[in-house]
Amino acid sequence: MSQEAFESVVSAHHGEIFRYLQRVIGHAGDADDLSQETFLRAYRAYGSLPGEANLRAWLFAIATNLAKNHFRSETRRRRAYGEMRASMRETVETAPEAELVSRETGALVEGVVRRLPLKQRLAFTQRKIHGLDYEAIGRSLSCSAETARAHVFQAVRKIRQALDGHGLLPEEPER
Amino acid sequence: MSEKPAVCVRIEDDLLAAAMGEAASSAAKRVERHLTTCVSCRREFQEYRAVDGAVTTLRKEPPPVGSLTQSRERLETRLADLRNRLLIYRIFPSSLGHILIARSELGISLVEYLERGTSLRASRLSHEPSVETVEGGADLEAIYRELLEYLEGRRRRLDWPLDLRLARSDFQRTVLQATAEIPYGAVIPYAGIAQEVGKASATRAVAQALRWNPLPIVIPCHRVIGSSGALTGYAGSKIDIKQRLLSVEGVPTAKKAGVLGITPQTMYILYPGDREYCLPTCPSLHTRRPSPLTRFASREDAESVGLSPCTACRPDLHPISH
Repeated sequence: MSQEAFESVVSAHHGEIFRYLQRVIGHAGDADDLSQETFLRAYRAYGSLPGEANLRAWLFAIATNLAKNHFRSETRRRRAYGEMRASMRETVETAPEAELVSRETGALVEGVVRRLPLKQRLAFTQRKIHGLDYEAIGRSLSCSAETARAHVFQAVRKIRQALDGHGLLPEEPER
Repeated sequence: MSEKPAVCVRIEDDLLAAAMGEAASSAAKRVERHLTTCVSCRREFQEYRAVDGAVTTLRKEPPPVGSLTQSRERLETRLADLRNRLLIYRIFPSSLGHILIARSELGISLVEYLERGTSLRASRLSHEPSVETVEGGADLEAIYRELLEYLEGRRRRLDWPLDLRLARSDFQRTVLQATAEIPYGAVIPYAGIAQEVGKASATRAVAQALRWNPLPIVIPCHRVIGSSGALTGYAGSKIDIKQRLLSVEGVPTAKKAGVLGITPQTMYILYPGDREYCLPTCPSLHTRRPSPLTRFASREDAESVGLSPCTACRPDLHPISH
């Protein structure tokens, strides 16, 4: 493997993987650590990667696996929720008034996403934020593409339910 | 709370898929028809669309630049450290036993005869605190195939990029570099290498440096022999492997008085610094200062490195018959 080749992998994908982990972990420091570990692991295995492999999906799979391991610790999970709530308050309180409504909805969606069961959260973030296909998501979660799709749909249902009453839509007039 | 009508329950999944833009066209049409008649599903559909829209805004949100830059810088530092330490290895069977081949990003760094097992635990790598190892590397397969060709006598050179960082000292590195220059089918005494590296009296140190050659076969320490012509040591006590490697190259060996050595009378001779090779009986050799000689198994081996036949003893006219 050449140094230049892996340099280009880092250049192309580090930002996205970092962002993905930040979304699913909720704690910037931990997300940074895990994104580092993702690329260090990738570097170790890069030489054995088949030429036709989907590099991006492979990196997401490594990052997802690390995120799953990370959340096996209940303490970390609690800390992540705490930080997420604090960050939501800060976001809403300091935003200019004009942006408040849309940012509030976005922050609420993020908040709901972070409270989703882990597999739903990982599947939803990969699909809806990063646009991966269900095959790739299934591989990263060790399940079928169908199951990955079911996780995403379940997540969307829960987000809708959770946002009910937060003015997603204007009230319809009585008929 | 009123129950959802059965028709709405049945269409629930398609409705969600359609709202997310993932429904097949037949399902999307079915949903479209249903929405024209069902107010509550229409609202549900619009809510899903609104969720999808909110997610789209999240997707567009750029990452915080500062933390991303810092993370990238930290990653570059850690990758540079890993690059320095990482060795990719594989263990292969061969006619000489199991052989471990390891490479770094710079080149092949270890070829090791495994004596005590067939796993990494039997390797010196397991005791090298400065390296991190990972098994794999499809490219090592190609290296292994070339090695097999070499051991079968179908290849004369192993032109691999080498990484000598596993050498124990600068002196050993210098000795290895000098040894790498010994041509195929030739042998030279330890004293010859000592002279080559500018430390004529360091014969024992040269032998010790070659004993720990991290790249046997590739750096052909099997072509370095005792001044008497005895094969002496090889990678510890693997003198039988040394004999096999020499015989692959056509170097004649025999046991004399219980000692395994080359048969000097059947090899061509190169005096240090000469460009002509001689017969062992060449009269010019008797008039010169004794010096460690390089010996060639064949005229072809000598001539393949640009040497010419001696004009005094004319090995071209009187070749040694084997």
